Amino acid sequence: MREKWLPWALIAPTALFALAMTVVPLGYSLLTSLREFPLGRTPTFVGLQNYRVLLHDGNFLGSLGTTLWFAVAATLIEFVLGLSLALLLKDEFSFQGIIRSSLIIPMVIAPVVVGIIWRLLYNADVGLFSFIVQALTGRNLSVLSNPTLALPALILVDVWEWTPFMFLILLAGIQSLPQEPFEAARVDGATPWNVFLHLTLPMLRPVIVVAVLIRGLDAFTVFDQVFVMTQGGPGTSTEVATLMIYKTAFRFSQVGYGAAMAMALLFLVMGFSLAVTRAFRASA
Amino acid sequence: MPRLPLRARRRFWLVTRVILIILALVITLVPVYWMIATSLKTQVEVFASPPTIWPENPTVQNYVRVFARRHLGRYLFNSVIVVGTSVILSLTIGSLAAYSLARFGKDRLKQKMDFWVLAPRMIPPVALVVPMFLILHKLGLINKHLGLILVYTGFNLPFVAWMMRSFFQEIPVDLEEAAMVDGAGRLRSLRDIVLPLVAPGMVATAIFALIITYNEFFFALILTSTPAAATLPVGTAALIGKTQTLYGEMAAAGVVAAIPLVIFALLVQRHLVRGLTMGAVK
Repeated sequence: MREKWLPWALIAPTALFALAMTVVPLGYSLLTSLREFPLGRTPTFVGLQNYRVLLHDGNFLGSLGTTLWFAVAATLIEFVLGLSLALLLKDEFSFQGIIRSSLIIPMVIAPVVVGIIWRLLYNADVGLFSFIVQALTGRNLSVLSNPTLALPALILVDVWEWTPFMFLILLAGIQSLPQEPFEAARVDGATPWNVFLHLTLPMLRPVIVVAVLIRGLDAFTVFDQVFVMTQGGPGTSTEVATLMIYKTAFRFSQVGYGAAMAMALLFLVMGFSLAVTRAFRASA
Repeated sequence: MPRLPLRARRRFWLVTRVILIILALVITLVPVYWMIATSLKTQVEVFASPPTIWPENPTVQNYVRVFARRHLGRYLFNSVIVVGTSVILSLTIGSLAAYSLARFGKDRLKQKMDFWVLAPRMIPPVALVVPMFLILHKLGLINKHLGLILVYTGFNLPFVAWMMRSFFQEIPVDLEEAAMVDGAGRLRSLRDIVLPLVAPGMVATAIFALIITYNEFFFALILTSTPAAATLPVGTAALIGKTQTLYGEMAAAGVVAAIPLVIFALLVQRHLVRGLTMGAVK
């Protein structure tokens, strides 16, 4: 019977490949986290030693805090701006094709290049952003070398790049909503604000969950722009978790300890996913 | 606030809307313009104060330099090889799985599949990169195109299968069965009947995979570092360290890395939107 094994034969390559790229490395990572493993030398098994050190590692806990702050702020701002844009652009109007296309440009530019763009803008000598800030406040701020401003500056970059993503998904969500409830509300004379609060928002909930989850998960593991723009500095003010783990494993060659940190980040990310799904389910 | 007459209120909202849209466009486009303008300025003009909005003596010397001295052409070539191969591979392998899921899969499979596509996203890339580096190192695939091709294919597969599955499902089974009754085998009916119908969906999926892999930086940074294998994002990032205050060159490299994809994305915008949003909306 050919038909009997055909379905499985077609799926097998994808399933094996996917397992080889997720479950296998994750298991290996878990194993590595239980080892003292200087890159290029023989690892030794140390049990939970790495995790014990981790709990008292102020730098790492600080970096988790930076990551949390970055991810929550960026996702929240992107959601609010993306939703506003989607509401602003949901109806037919002239030039809508070209306007929508222009608005999604930032998200197709490589994050590395986005880092370059904003390095140029923020630069105190040659940057347009700095020039405008100086014209307005009279101060020449080098934003990226200022310990208090560097992280908000990076959040702004993330917002610039990824608000279009929120906008696109929420716009598609809004446009796929059934029309009848809105017509009924219009007949009843509901105000636009009430329609938004009691119709649009609740009906959009499933789309919002997915959009916030996808964007939040990516924000928790942000790396590219930070690597290009600040390398974690000044000091450790923008050292997000992925960057710190990268440095630990590949620059200071403490592979085992880096793997333990990666596991801690995994738990933080899973906690976030659970929190988001719970929050939206509870309000349902 | 006294209530304005309806017509005045409408006009007020219209004007507000137009202003907000223009504002959003300016904030979106000016940074990109600034990079392009900087890439066309001479080193002296880059430092001019106040900055010149429009390059006064536009020059392509920055572009000539990044290609002649900084291996940018080589990085571009590496990117094309790695991205092209992994997109084609994942699309071929993933479509087979998608077809199988769409034709033979039960409904309860869909929920499981949603989970298996979303779950890997929860794993921070950094938790995967350490073991991948160790494994590829053992296989001698660090700084090789093949190493990165395998990794990217693996990452693309779940969502390729997921997206293609819904495209296959849109095709009526009857069409296929009719061809099979007429004596065509399953594989032949797949090739002659199903494949042409599902082609637009494959394009949308390919575009999505292409954008993700072309822009990918983290894995490429760790798994490739020499000009022999490094992709464009890695090459561009390496260049930042070397150019120091040669901002014109930095900008030129950024333009080279970004422009092909931006033009491409604008050309296929409708497919792109479909690809990006279907997961969330469907």
